[in-house]
Amino acid sequence: MSEANGQESAQPLLEVRDLRVSVAADPEIEIVRGVDLTVRPGEVHALMGPNGSGKSTLANAIAGSPEYAVDGGEVHFQGEDITESTADARARMGMFLSFQYPTPIPGVTMVNLLRMAMKARSGEEPPAREFLGQLREVLQTLRIEEDFARRYVNDGFSGGEKKRAEILQLGMLKPQLAILDETDSGLDVDALRTVAEGVNALHNPKMGILLITHYQRILNYITPDFVHVLVDGRIVRSGGADLAHRIEADGYDPILQELGEPAGAAT
Amino acid sequence: MTTDAGTTTDRYAEAAVIAAADGRGEPGWLRDRRAEAARAFDATPLPTRALRPWRYTDVTGLDFGAFAPTAAALSIDASVPDGAYTGTIRDALGAHEALLRDGLGSLTPATEGKFQAANAALWDDGVLVHAPARTVFEEPVLAELDVPEGDAAVFPRVLVVAGEQAEVTVVLRLRSTDAPLLAAGVVEIEAAQAARVRLLIDDRWGADTQDYTTVRARLGRDADLQVASLAIGGRVIKQTVEVTLEGEGANSAIRAVALGDEDQHFDFVTLQDHTGPRTTSDVEVKAALAGASRSIYYGITRVGEDAAGAEANQQNRNLLLSNSSKADSDPVLEILTADVIRCGHGATVGPVDEEALFYLQSRGLDRRTSLQLLVSGFFQTVLRDIRLDGVAEELEETVFAKLARAEL
Repeated sequence: MSEANGQESAQPLLEVRDLRVSVAADPEIEIVRGVDLTVRPGEVHALMGPNGSGKSTLANAIAGSPEYAVDGGEVHFQGEDITESTADARARMGMFLSFQYPTPIPGVTMVNLLRMAMKARSGEEPPAREFLGQLREVLQTLRIEEDFARRYVNDGFSGGEKKRAEILQLGMLKPQLAILDETDSGLDVDALRTVAEGVNALHNPKMGILLITHYQRILNYITPDFVHVLVDGRIVRSGGADLAHRIEADGYDPILQELGEPAGAAT
Repeated sequence: MTTDAGTTTDRYAEAAVIAAADGRGEPGWLRDRRAEAARAFDATPLPTRALRPWRYTDVTGLDFGAFAPTAAALSIDASVPDGAYTGTIRDALGAHEALLRDGLGSLTPATEGKFQAANAALWDDGVLVHAPARTVFEEPVLAELDVPEGDAAVFPRVLVVAGEQAEVTVVLRLRSTDAPLLAAGVVEIEAAQAARVRLLIDDRWGADTQDYTTVRARLGRDADLQVASLAIGGRVIKQTVEVTLEGEGANSAIRAVALGDEDQHFDFVTLQDHTGPRTTSDVEVKAALAGASRSIYYGITRVGEDAAGAEANQQNRNLLLSNSSKADSDPVLEILTADVIRCGHGATVGPVDEEALFYLQSRGLDRRTSLQLLVSGFFQTVLRDIRLDGVAEELEETVFAKLARAEL
């Protein structure tokens, strides 16, 4: 549980205002249709919703993916309007996206990527000894073999390895805001626990987390301060952890019915 | 060296070639071969675009006369095992004459084409690597050719003879200034039964070098050849690598990477000629092209009637880093036996994967740095089988330095 609860006065890390997003290649289709969201330091927000509700689009748009076009609204990060900023500028400011489907980068080792990313973030090459010490620590936290970091990024990784590799990067880059896009998908129970415990270990009072998930099960390990339900590109319900438990018990249908949507249309 | 050879064009003529050979005190057989090569040079026209391997590279306007044949500085660094020889061809002419007589031109006759004829007539000095049976070179042989002058022509010549179960790695490093230079190299490799030969061609040519090089190899039973080529510098690089897989179970891998910018032109031609049974070959040519640079790949996998059970794979991949870069790819299979295990070929031409780019940018790397890293990673496979200290790191540094200024 985060001590940020009740600290409404803390400067928001992330402020999303009336955000509207479409696919850049197909601007006719609006996927995110007016989302407001505020994440403060230390808070864990879970964004839930049926498949196709726009969760991943929202995550990618906040991170600055060129695949999506912002049609309206604003994104502020650490007090700065970043709506027009490139993905790399956002990352250097302290934003991190854990990908749902991490892309293989053949020929580039994880160590190499981490060094370059840390250099981009701080402006200088991390000192070798410090870097290796930190790397070892994070690898241990995530129960990853050491030679893993010598492998090419996401190249030939299993689903579980890919997700661990994302959290490894999270642990090394120490962002202010971590957006975890379906980090739980494709993981068996043991891998899920390891990854979730890793996230908990890496979480600190300055770091905000936006955790995107279809299922409640990761929330058994990572306790959210706020739960939002996204349907059809809009946040239709917001509440505490109990909202996630209700969804776990009853599914999305009751919410969809209240909204007048055909139940079971999206599962 | 003759100083009374008249105009530069005359230096390619038979009389000048003979005079130069006499000036070097070469034996009669070599002098005669050079004279024959000079006649072949005179009689052979430049290849035209009507010939398929020259379809995309027009050399009909090339004027040899504008380039004076020059003796470049050749240095060879090797720790040579007992019984083996590594050194200049000139130094080998006494003790290893029979080997040179049999080996030079055995795979690449002077009559084969304009550039091969020019080389055979005019190579000044060259490299001989002789690894007799069961000789293992622990360290790579490093041969460096440095051309300090402009408006010159150089004719690099390398002969590698590897006996049964011998093992040797040869690194050929080529340097020139940014002044105009014509290079026409010939590399010949004979690998006997179960010999293992690795060749790395590390081209560090200056901005206005044109290089037309032929590498040819013949592999005995279970012999293994790996050729890797790094094409970074130069204005026109036309490299032909042809391997005859003669002995049963012979294997060859040909890999090349080209990093282009401005108006650089790369043209790779490969031939994997499977004549022996159960022979295997693998080709991987990769180009990353910025500015208005261009890459061409034309490769033939030929599987002969007696090459039952052959396996072959050829891949050509091109990354277009700018809108005005261009790549043409033409992998060909000629299969004359029904008994083939697997014969694959593939070619891709396209821009950088946007998802990979976003992934790296989401880690804080700007677009250019992301591209530098992606291209560097893309190239790493070229060194998969030739592991030499520092070469991978140098390649990465070279890629980063070149793409720091390139037009993307």
